Amino acid sequence: MAKKDTMKALLNRGISDEAAALLLSKYNTLSAISAAGADALVELGLPEDEAVTIIQKIGKRPSSSSKAKKVVEEEIPVAPMEEVTEFYEYSDGEKRLMAIAEEEGVDLPMKVIVDIAARIKNADLDDEVCRKLVTTAYRMYSSHLMDQNESAGVMAAHSLGEPGTQMNMRTFHYAGVANINVTQGLPRLIEIVDARRIPSTPSMDIPLKGIAAEDENVARIVASNIEITTLLDIASIETDITNMRLVVRPDVRKMESKGIKTSDIVEKLNKVKAVRGMVEESDFEIVVTSDEPSYKKLQVMYDAIKNAKIKGIDGINRAVLSKTEGSWKIITEGSNLKEVLKVEGVDADHVMTNSILEVADVLGIEAARNSIIREAMGTLGEAGLDVDIRHIMLVADLMTNDGYVKAIGRHGVSGKKSSVLARAAFEITAAHLLHAAMVGEVDHLEGVTENIIVGQPVTLGTGAVNIIYTPKKKGDKE
Amino acid sequence: MTARGITKRIGSIKFSCVSPDEIRKMSATKIITADTYDDEGYPIDMGLMDPHMGVIEPGLRCKTCGCKVDECPGHFGHIDLAMPVIHVGFIKDIKMLLESTCCHCGRLMLSEDQIQARRESMDKMEELGGGTIEVKNFSKETAKDASGKGVCPYCGEEQVKIKLDKPTTFREVEDNHKLTPKEVRERLEKIPDDDLVTLGIDPSTCRPEWMVLTALAVPPVTVRPSITLDSGDRSEDDLTHKLVDVLRINQRLRENRDAGAPQLIVEDLWELLQYHVTTYFDNQTSGIPPARHRSGRPLKTLAQRLKGKEGRFRSNLSGKRVNFSARTVISPDPLLSINEVGVPVFAARELTVPVHVNEHNIEKVREIVARGPEPGLDNPYVPGANYVIRSDGRKIRITSRNAEEVAERLEVDYTVERQLVDGDVVLFNRQPSLHRMSMMAHRVRIMPGRTFRFNLCVCPPYNADFDGDEMNLHVLQSDEARAEARILMQVQENILSPRYGGPIIGSVHDHITGAYFLTHNNPRFDREAAANILFRLDGEDIPFPEPYIDEVTGEQYWTGKQLFSTVLPDDFRTTFKANICQNCSVCRKEECEYDAYVKIRDGQLLCGTIDVKGVGNSKGKILDRIARDYGSDRARIFINQVTRLALGAIMNHGFSTGIGDEDIPPEAALQITNHSQECIDKVSELVASYQDGTLAQMPGRSLRETLEVNVMQVLGKARDEAGRIAGKHLGMSNPAVIMAKSGARGSMLNLSQMAGCVGQQAVRGERLSRGYWNRTLPHFEKGDLGAYARGFCSNSYKSGLSPTEFFFHAMGGREGLVDTAVRTSRSGYMQRRLVSALEDLKLTSDGTVRNTVGTVVQFRYGEDGADPSRTVRGKAIDYDDLFAEVLGDEADALLHIDNSDIGGDYGSLEKDEMEYIEEEDSDEYDDLDMDYDGGGE
Repeated sequence: MAKKDTMKALLNRGISDEAAALLLSKYNTLSAISAAGADALVELGLPEDEAVTIIQKIGKRPSSSSKAKKVVEEEIPVAPMEEVTEFYEYSDGEKRLMAIAEEEGVDLPMKVIVDIAARIKNADLDDEVCRKLVTTAYRMYSSHLMDQNESAGVMAAHSLGEPGTQMNMRTFHYAGVANINVTQGLPRLIEIVDARRIPSTPSMDIPLKGIAAEDENVARIVASNIEITTLLDIASIETDITNMRLVVRPDVRKMESKGIKTSDIVEKLNKVKAVRGMVEESDFEIVVTSDEPSYKKLQVMYDAIKNAKIKGIDGINRAVLSKTEGSWKIITEGSNLKEVLKVEGVDADHVMTNSILEVADVLGIEAARNSIIREAMGTLGEAGLDVDIRHIMLVADLMTNDGYVKAIGRHGVSGKKSSVLARAAFEITAAHLLHAAMVGEVDHLEGVTENIIVGQPVTLGTGAVNIIYTPKKKGDKE
Repeated sequence: MTARGITKRIGSIKFSCVSPDEIRKMSATKIITADTYDDEGYPIDMGLMDPHMGVIEPGLRCKTCGCKVDECPGHFGHIDLAMPVIHVGFIKDIKMLLESTCCHCGRLMLSEDQIQARRESMDKMEELGGGTIEVKNFSKETAKDASGKGVCPYCGEEQVKIKLDKPTTFREVEDNHKLTPKEVRERLEKIPDDDLVTLGIDPSTCRPEWMVLTALAVPPVTVRPSITLDSGDRSEDDLTHKLVDVLRINQRLRENRDAGAPQLIVEDLWELLQYHVTTYFDNQTSGIPPARHRSGRPLKTLAQRLKGKEGRFRSNLSGKRVNFSARTVISPDPLLSINEVGVPVFAARELTVPVHVNEHNIEKVREIVARGPEPGLDNPYVPGANYVIRSDGRKIRITSRNAEEVAERLEVDYTVERQLVDGDVVLFNRQPSLHRMSMMAHRVRIMPGRTFRFNLCVCPPYNADFDGDEMNLHVLQSDEARAEARILMQVQENILSPRYGGPIIGSVHDHITGAYFLTHNNPRFDREAAANILFRLDGEDIPFPEPYIDEVTGEQYWTGKQLFSTVLPDDFRTTFKANICQNCSVCRKEECEYDAYVKIRDGQLLCGTIDVKGVGNSKGKILDRIARDYGSDRARIFINQVTRLALGAIMNHGFSTGIGDEDIPPEAALQITNHSQECIDKVSELVASYQDGTLAQMPGRSLRETLEVNVMQVLGKARDEAGRIAGKHLGMSNPAVIMAKSGARGSMLNLSQMAGCVGQQAVRGERLSRGYWNRTLPHFEKGDLGAYARGFCSNSYKSGLSPTEFFFHAMGGREGLVDTAVRTSRSGYMQRRLVSALEDLKLTSDGTVRNTVGTVVQFRYGEDGADPSRTVRGKAIDYDDLFAEVLGDEADALLHIDNSDIGGDYGSLEKDEMEYIEEEDSDEYDDLDMDYDGGGE
């Protein structure tokens, strides 16, 4: 075994097959080769310059070689990104209101203008009325603005935390026919806020397009392309000890329903490391013959092919069809956004996953932000609790503020606070204080916790403003 | 005390390490003996309780500053350690330093260029406002790059790898040679200042060799006071105990070393000293047993004092104990304004407000002072005074004996601590304080009795009930605080919740039933009844409305809608659907047969029933609109008046509910039984088909799961149907139904469980399955999968559960209790994290949301800058209002009475599960929505 590993390691370092084989004839490990030195290698029959390069290459740490690999990967020209061409088109009504708003010099949020336009779409109103609508709307809007120095953060934290006490802990069934369990309630909310890498129940919502959306059979094919199929799902495996081989007996019916041919299985199995090159098709069976007469090896082989992926996408354990609003869609257990987007027949623009980190990886940080908002709103809505979306936006914005998704808590936002005292008051008190002493940190007392600790008014709300007033002295006149 | 307000502000706090020299310099005394007190009980000089380090006993004076107890802050002492020991807190940093620097010359093992590059990046980081954490991570990387080198690039010395034997021992990997702290210190001393800066350490505040201690600072006695027990024995603080250990071993180590004892003994003692110093700093260091008290309890040493919920930071620095506060049981009083709180005389006499004496109020204050602390008059209540504070800061307690005399000598510029009077502003709070409405400002009303009292409409924001809840009251002590509380925290300012932009304060329970009786189907009242209801609206200048004349009898009468309209603002207009709306497919609007279409024009209720959707907390549309458009004063008046009006109406009508309300006719009961039996039979069929394998398997489910899903569906339907039949026979005249439909309390689900069928019991969303082997209870056969064997309760609460059903119900109920217990702790921690992460965010004057460092989190708050508590169901403006204002009555065509919009309720605490079932027809089957919140704390 050791020799095999060494061989692999040598090949990884870019040493030719022949040279590696030659080296292995004498040495077993990399360190033995490098210890021997270039001269010893020359004695083995290698050219001098090659010997030197081999020694150099072996000296390199494998980590650097993997780094080098990465660089190579990056050099592969990436297909140019498809340019986004579909923008939101403002309707005539909206454009008209926008023009008026600009004329009047009022700064109305787009949402308000769009909403008004939607309401007056069917009514024929003259310009004067529209003007009045816009100005009145602005008056109303500006009286609904948030006050300066308002502690928006605490408000959001309260608004999210307080309903948490009213949520339940149970998970229950997914709404609809799919019967896929999805974590709901408080555990899900905590999961979102924690920015957990993999949610406890990852799930995707995959709308289909084209013919797949209409025809159930086509939709079923798409689903079978998405759902992972392992060998055991479509075949039985028998261990033939007398002949030291494994016999795979495919179930024709199951294979048909999944659209898999026997040759596909052979091809896939031949790619499995433990049985590479040992798989053969014979009649209706597939025979995997061991190259070593060892029971252990046979067991290893069995384990390797048992769960070999024949078809589908990694991570997606189940894909269930469901029909909503006349078109088919797939709901999955497990999530793999990157791969699902590539599948034919999938309406890639509307695929949803509840794995926020995955969204961040595949679609970027803005998508992750929206995903947090969507998931949190959905979870709260499911529990029948109403929380203003602005609060959740603030939490999502804070979590995605610097380009990657941070958790709310010790390892994320709270642990990155600028104030020593605030961090110490939250968690891992002693470590923060000691480190602060070591680097000579200065706490400028700008946040809330710090000021409470030293007994000063905080810098939010009424504490953020000062009145500067010098009382007149008795003698002063004027 | 005389100079109020803040004159100076702490700008910043710098943290640093203390060098051994500094420790010795600031030390008041050197400590050498491990003994604390001599035979007479006096502290020994140069012992751990040396009076140079401060005093804890009254009457004694500190030998350093000469002050008495409470005046002397205490002074540090020090112990000179015979041999250096490592500070555990810095063990990782020491390791990092040893690994990244040369063991011979002490230089950081990076080339000049690399160091230069690193320094430049660090400068850049500082310029761009990188925080400590970023710098920390960066220097960690620097250290990592520098470590693991075989040869020093400066002196060429070959490096030996170092291994850390937790917790405090360093070893050289090759020969397993142990590095003594002394050697470690020597190596750290060699590191030049410049290289330290590259590693993120500020050499002026912390030289690395200071992390290996040669002198130990001994905290002042005031930090570790000893307690004298009743028996006269002294009980020392944990820290003192630990320091005694350190001193003893230190002494022995010194003696042995000086006497030239064998190396082995010295090393053992050295290690023991290291152990004691380590546990002195942190008694929870992993890898060593915690030091224990004689009783076996682990000692609470320095790190434990700071850490955790009971630690210094969270318990004493972030939260503080206060005076001028009171706590007692609460009880309801519907006649108080929502702004008021009833304070018992007993508490009012104890709580005081400081009054500054000046030329204008001196006579009045004198009168108060002269009454003393116990004026003896409780009805009517008159305030007395408890203390007088003279201009020089002396505090004089007023007793009934000296009251006259003190009043006589009262001067301008004194401060008098006056007892509470009606109208004082106080803060009122109920834990858990989950949101800002958990602490609101009320006006005091002194009352007889022993409880705090407040209006029932204020229960929801506090989440209070009266089953023994207690609440806290804080009296504000400064004018600024009172002004702030009155403007920002008063109850009327918090009617609209910032969580969802709807009212959180509004009518509850009986008030809603009352409003329903007043307005539903417009009942008529004669003069007496009308006056009886209206006279409760005290003092607010309400004109008695013009009566109608009955065409037949010629008698005068008033209608309920007319009476309700008296409390509406004159120009009020709105339209919505009430809670009793049946959601007919075609809405007949004004002609609604259920009187569910509410229309108000010019302050007159034209049609419709006022129920929870009108005035209820969190759903009330009328309330919502008044609070937003007419201001908080008007909203307060409205709520007060609606409360009184509704109480008048319900008292006029009379209202009661009892077990008889769940009576259903025998034929209905029979119907329910038959239907349940049908369903149970169907379950048996399903089980049979499962057992003989004819059950069609659902895709992606095992056969067993398929069975469970089907059974659940059948049994869910059984309960729904039972509820439906029961509901049909409980008409709208049934008090329980009135409560459920008007939204006052309870739901149709509760009723159907009481009258119809309790339904399937569930644990973890599945039918009950645990208990005995293969069965839930020994009453059933093994492997029985039928309805009864797996927790279906076909009886109703009223008909009574069978013994097995009762047991199953208890199983389901227990899950609910456990769930509640787990939930509170989990959600509490989540909220703590959220608050800690978000507390510093504020809206700056340019409209952006930023944190303390100035990083922009949002460019415009919530994308439109609107305050959630001022929004209309989350929308920045009310479009209906906008069109009504601009277009007048023409707008009706454009008005958008969207059912989903109007019917949507905010943050409902009790979702009507029945509705949910009806619309979803899903396999929702639990019964855990009963109230388990009663029964005291």
